Amino acid sequence: MTPTLIPWIPALAAATIGLISLFRSEWNRFAGALCAGAIGLSFVLTLWLSSSVGSGVVESGFYDWISFGSGDNAFHAGFSWFIDPLTVVMLLVITGIGGLIAVYAHGYMKGDPGYWRFFAYVALFIFAMTTLVMADNLLLLFLGWEGVGLCSYLLIGYYYEKPKAVAAAKKAFIVNRVGDFGFLLGIFLCYQHYGTLQISTMLEGARETLAAVAHGHGAVTATDVWIPFLLMVGAFGKSAQLPLYMWLPDAMAGPTPVSALVHAATMVTAGVYLIARCLPLFELSPYALPTVATVGAVTALFAATIALVSNDLKGVFAYSTVSQLGYMFLGVGCLSTDGAVFHLVTHAFFKALLFLTAGSVMHALAGQLNIQTMGGLRHKMPVTCWLMFAGCLALAGVPLTAGFFSKDLILGDALAYAVDHGSVLFFALTFLGVVTAFLTAFYTFRLWFTVFMGEEKFEMGDEHHAADDHAGDHADEADAAHDDHAHDAPHEMPWSMNGPLVVLAAGALLAGLVLHFTGGIEHAVQHSTAAVFVDAAHSQHAGDPAGDHGGEHHAYFLGVDAHVFMQVLSSILAVAGVVLAAFVFWMKREIADKAAARFDKLIRFARHEYCINEICDAAVVLPLRRLGALFYAVDRLIINSVMDLMGGLPRWLGMGVRPAQNGRIQSYGLTMVLGVALLAVLVLVATGG
Amino acid sequence: MLLALSSPMLSHYLLTGAVLFVLGLVGFISRRNMIQMFLCTEMMFQGVVVTLVAFSAFHGNVTGQTFVIFVLTIAAAEAALALGLVVLLFRHRRTLDASAWSALNG
Amino acid sequence: MPTIADKLAGLWPEIVMLLGAVACLAAGLSASARTRRLTPWIAGGTMALAWIFALWTGIDADHPLGLGGVVTYVKCLVLVLGLVLLLVCAGVPEGLKQTAAAEGARFDPGLSVRGEFYFFFLLSITGVMLTAGATDLVWLFLALELTSLPTYVMIAMTRDRTVAHESAVKYFFLGALSAAMFLYGFALIYGATGFTEFGPIRDAVAVSSETGLSDPSPLMLMGIVLSVLGLCFKVAAVPMHVYTADVYQGAATPVTAFLAVVPKVAGFAALIMVLHLLGLDRLPEPVLYLLGAIGVLTMTVGNVLAFVQTNLKRVMAYSSVANSGYMMLGLMAGLGVPGNALGNGPAAVLFFLLAYGFGSIGAFAVIAALAAQRSPDGADHTDATGVADDLEYDDLAGLWWRSPVLGGVMLVSMLTLVGMPPLSGFMGKFFLIGGVLNAGFYGLVIVLVINSAISAGYYLRIAMLTFFGESSSAPAVILPEGRRGPRVVGAVIAGIAGLLIGGLPGNSVVRNAREAFEPVPAPASAEPETVQAAADESTASAPAVARSQAAGLADAVPTP
Repeated sequence: MTPTLIPWIPALAAATIGLISLFRSEWNRFAGALCAGAIGLSFVLTLWLSSSVGSGVVESGFYDWISFGSGDNAFHAGFSWFIDPLTVVMLLVITGIGGLIAVYAHGYMKGDPGYWRFFAYVALFIFAMTTLVMADNLLLLFLGWEGVGLCSYLLIGYYYEKPKAVAAAKKAFIVNRVGDFGFLLGIFLCYQHYGTLQISTMLEGARETLAAVAHGHGAVTATDVWIPFLLMVGAFGKSAQLPLYMWLPDAMAGPTPVSALVHAATMVTAGVYLIARCLPLFELSPYALPTVATVGAVTALFAATIALVSNDLKGVFAYSTVSQLGYMFLGVGCLSTDGAVFHLVTHAFFKALLFLTAGSVMHALAGQLNIQTMGGLRHKMPVTCWLMFAGCLALAGVPLTAGFFSKDLILGDALAYAVDHGSVLFFALTFLGVVTAFLTAFYTFRLWFTVFMGEEKFEMGDEHHAADDHAGDHADEADAAHDDHAHDAPHEMPWSMNGPLVVLAAGALLAGLVLHFTGGIEHAVQHSTAAVFVDAAHSQHAGDPAGDHGGEHHAYFLGVDAHVFMQVLSSILAVAGVVLAAFVFWMKREIADKAAARFDKLIRFARHEYCINEICDAAVVLPLRRLGALFYAVDRLIINSVMDLMGGLPRWLGMGVRPAQNGRIQSYGLTMVLGVALLAVLVLVATGG
Repeated sequence: MLLALSSPMLSHYLLTGAVLFVLGLVGFISRRNMIQMFLCTEMMFQGVVVTLVAFSAFHGNVTGQTFVIFVLTIAAAEAALALGLVVLLFRHRRTLDASAWSALNG
Repeated sequence: MPTIADKLAGLWPEIVMLLGAVACLAAGLSASARTRRLTPWIAGGTMALAWIFALWTGIDADHPLGLGGVVTYVKCLVLVLGLVLLLVCAGVPEGLKQTAAAEGARFDPGLSVRGEFYFFFLLSITGVMLTAGATDLVWLFLALELTSLPTYVMIAMTRDRTVAHESAVKYFFLGALSAAMFLYGFALIYGATGFTEFGPIRDAVAVSSETGLSDPSPLMLMGIVLSVLGLCFKVAAVPMHVYTADVYQGAATPVTAFLAVVPKVAGFAALIMVLHLLGLDRLPEPVLYLLGAIGVLTMTVGNVLAFVQTNLKRVMAYSSVANSGYMMLGLMAGLGVPGNALGNGPAAVLFFLLAYGFGSIGAFAVIAALAAQRSPDGADHTDATGVADDLEYDDLAGLWWRSPVLGGVMLVSMLTLVGMPPLSGFMGKFFLIGGVLNAGFYGLVIVLVINSAISAGYYLRIAMLTFFGESSSAPAVILPEGRRGPRVVGAVIAGIAGLLIGGLPGNSVVRNAREAFEPVPAPASAEPETVQAAADESTASAPAVARSQAAGLADAVPTP
């Protein structure tokens, strides 16, 4: 029962909020508390569940959702759960971070006319996301997958009176359609191939094939090779990897807590989860995982370079999210599921923190997003300043912060993989990852120094938060105290909003350390996906004694253990990046300006996302639009007239039959008798023939 | 011919039943007086009754005759209902013409 | 042979219903106003109790046609629909002028119709239950009359307008005509076989060794054809559909809901029984032609006539006609492969009845809860103050914004009737089409789909109006609490049921419908007759399997 409650409590909250808005709109103000409470309850249940799961598996059903046929042709898809430590980790992230963000949003969204709508969507999102990670079959997973897509669409388009938000929502939806189409085809193929959509059964089948191939009998079929590529398309779409990444930066048009929850911490990691969950399916194809790793690494670098030059406060973090997701894909691509999931968890902490602090800055500056207009805000917003500093440290991968451990686990595993297999490709990918690590440190602190250090300057944006307009309307003392100078100067957020951020900051700084040395999540995830490695023919892990840390394998690069090498290297690079950023963007601003002038064209080009959107427009959108125009013309000229004709037909027929309905009993009797006679003749004819 | 008529066979009875039934049908369609229309439906029932009794005799069992008893019962119940309705309508319009009642149409 | 006592033991639900009906009659005539107010509660309690009894008596394994499961299913179905209908209908007699007169200063039992209304309500539903349970033509005839006769009275007495009387008279006269028709059919069946009991009749019908289909004598065939045509009246199918719109429009709206559902269930239960005399799996070609022609004509005529209506009750009446047409095709489809709901046409009909029932009840209940203000035109469409309960399209305009509950129910009802996934109407059409496809009638499926598209024209028009419509005149208002009774509750339940039985436990309902047709394991002391019947079953299913394989639907399901 506990697993069932985890998604359904938020679903119930969403329904309740919706009903309240319909029937008791004066209670709308409780929406935030209801939503946060429901997610919190789910979090508590998840904790309880995690103790019962341990390192095993809990399977539980809710009800038989779809059931057709019998015997061999039977098809079943239950609303039922498969919960192993990987699921628990995902659940903890979703409900834990989700709860904190809901608390923050309670303050952030205060006074917004769509207050209840926001929380209804958020609660619905948590329902869909938890269903996604708990599903025991691909169909239910797809339900959650589409559910989060829908909520994402609704939340991006939350400010539906802004054309930009609506366009962004549509873009997210359409780009995701491309990915989902691939995913759906993958699901069809899975059913075709395995005869079931139960994930555990499918994985069992895949492992058997792997073992058979490893022992030299049995072969990988074409279907086996195709399935991972189709699933991959879905994962890339949802997790904003090249070439389906372009919806995520635009998605920042939604409210900032949404960016933190949906587009940084949880939904976009669904692709990583999918690949981690279905890893045996991917191992069946010799090209699948290298493709995943390559796409991940290239995306990581690509997005980092854009983040380097973007002047948009949330845009930098958006590209950085794309980049960090790339790391996670690199991680699963080199069979480092533990690294990928570890990074997923730490990233959820620090990226949520960064987005929320960015939201605070934005909130204080009435919607201002251009970082070039900001500077020296540390005096006005000291708490926000240092909270964001903590997040930036983690993102930059400064030693001992969360990002350091997780990122280096991925890079170390990638290097070890390259050494083990002597794979040039993976050496190259590791190199890309290292370069990205340096860029990450640099662009992160470029932003932080620009905004919080240097001379104090700011320009207010054009948005007026209702909370500011109605100063004193609500009894929030902290807010009221700041409302004295609210209209012309940025102010610190109340502690009701900063409170959750402190928790996130603690996570961003310490989670890595704790988890690294206790081996907590890492061990759990390793354990749950351990079986994956056993029969993997091309994995060297199998033969290793599993005694040492999490089954970690010692590969030596230039005579040094790959992981140690990577830790040292990236520590140096991270610190170098931070120092360089401090030098360029704080101490000697003129260098930055000079460089900007020098590389003006290149920067513009990068800021323009290397014209990817234009290329995409020219290559995909424009032809489609032309085709659409053609179809429209055909539709108007030919089909419409035919349809008008056909639409008119029932009307004419109706008008023709109608006089028979003249209201007279005799004529009705006559109709009946004639009809009987005609049909009797028909039967006679049929008997004769 | 005469012989055939002097010793009626199953088909004669069936024909009688069918003729009664069709007469009722024709009457229902052509009559406008509601009481007459109702009597026509009764005539159709009686056609069926004749048929049932004829079959009963033909098969040599009494099931058909049992059926007839029930049909007559139902016919009686319908008669009561019909007269009630006709009186109700007559009170409104002072006419028994069925075609006066065609406000509902289309 | 089962004894009278055995027969009665299977009739406990009906006995409960009859006792409850009498109790309603008595309570409605009680001198105490409090007791009189209890009448609808008694009716509801009776139906709930009968439902329990229906489940408790269980499936009759000795049913002569092997349709014991169908009997129980139909009984439960009509009781469930009846309970919702009771919510919609409760308050109808109470709102009449006559009742006000009868229950004025001094109670006048001679004028009161309260007890009678619920009495007839229960009797009619009892009639459906008996129809389903019939094992004999005499019984079937009586049960069908028991279903119909009370409805004539219910129409006439529940509306203070002359149109109601017109509607009652039309329904009655044409109903008598159709009753004579199927009665003649029954007589011919008796003549052809010498029996009125279902079991012996079925055994007397020859089965062609060549095709595996029934090969009835011409007399038997004519008997079946006339019975089917007569029963078309109960389900409002062509050519017996002519009365539908007039009668539905003239009756009080809650009673219309009753008419749209209860006789239809009775009609289809009777059709299943009558056709199974030949074997639903081995219907001879002429009967298939007949059913196909009726189905196609019914859905087409119903839909095109609904298309040109403006009065909501007439639209829904023709929609009811069209839905009968869909279900007619289901009857042709055969029983498919045992264990697979997809392909069992009659089982799809049983489920479709439920989906259609909730959709229709929802729509009618919403209409019944509304009233429009018009200028009194003296044409009997409004009452003296100009309040009309006969709504036009425009009256619904923007209903959602005035009452989200009623607007929502209307929306759900329309979407389920149009067959929008995942609502119950979709599942109904899905299984229906699956059955017809399985039987290989591709042309009919195309007609069905085209007709569904036409029906979307008027269903979606109502749904759109509910949200976006702007009315030129004053739109309909919701009746005050006292006058609408528990209709809104009924509407909501129908709406929720329409929403859910397709998706959530829909599979189990479908499974029940399918299992209803599966032979009940015969008790150990099976008599030779039963064994014979079982043998017939097995030979009967062989051509069905062959047919379904020929249809190629089985190939569409991938095999691992």
